[in-house]
Amino acid sequence: MVKFLKPNKAVIVLQGRYSGRKAVIVRSFDDGTRDRPYGHCLVAGIKKYPSKVIKKDSAKKTAKKSRVKCFIKVVNYRHLMPTRYTLDVDLKDVVAPDCLQSKDKKVTAAKETKKRFEERFKTGKNRWFFTKLRF
Amino acid sequence: MFLIDLHSITQKKTHESISNRLALVMKSGKYTLAYKTVLGSLRSSKGKLIIIANNCPPLRKSEIEYYAMLAKVGVHHYNGNNVDLGTACGKYFRVSCLSIVDPGWYTLGSNFPSGFCAKMCAV
Repeated sequence: MVKFLKPNKAVIVLQGRYSGRKAVIVRSFDDGTRDRPYGHCLVAGIKKYPSKVIKKDSAKKTAKKSRVKCFIKVVNYRHLMPTRYTLDVDLKDVVAPDCLQSKDKKVTAAKETKKRFEERFKTGKNRWFFTKLRF
Repeated sequence: MFLIDLHSITQKKTHESISNRLALVMKSGKYTLAYKTVLGSLRSSKGKLIIIANNCPPLRKSEIEYYAMLAKVGVHHYNGNNVDLGTACGKYFRVSCLSIVDPGWYTLGSNFPSGFCAKMCAV
């Protein structure tokens, strides 16, 4: 009764290269498009999770450990597991459906999302999102 | 002793009425059967009530319940296995889970769907 596959929802990708990775919905296309006649959404997810940072680490080491590698992908709803978590990081201006058309657009979008994810990770909020799912 | 009898009586009565109500929905309303379509109806927020048979595999059952929790849709655990649920739907195949999209002629004094769910879900 309530739509839950909305932007800012944290999801887990179930199929493909990024299966098991956590992602956040940036844009959802419930009724599909001409090319994809099924419900799908544009997600931005974590390709490489940040490592565990301990108090003993130097500043240089913390910086190295807190790096996040991102991916941007269009995923069918069927290949996602929605969760009750949300991640309110504003990615709408950065990640657009057309940014997947060319390689350099994709790279710049990924770099920008990486920056936003890293600053969110450093604040210590949304800790669930930045921990690796164990399975 | 008295309490047990009362409980079994109420269970039996509501179980019959659930089957009756399901028959009414099958006749006049819209529904989808089986796991894939149930998840689809939950994703598109079309489902109003989900009914799960009691021998549905526990992982699948919890997955459907989780989706229903996100969608704020009621889940009813049918008191019978998939064979019984299929029979209750008037089908000649097994039905492990089904989603009611539109209850059809089933009208209640109380507001829908919470009243519907409350009446269909025994407790």
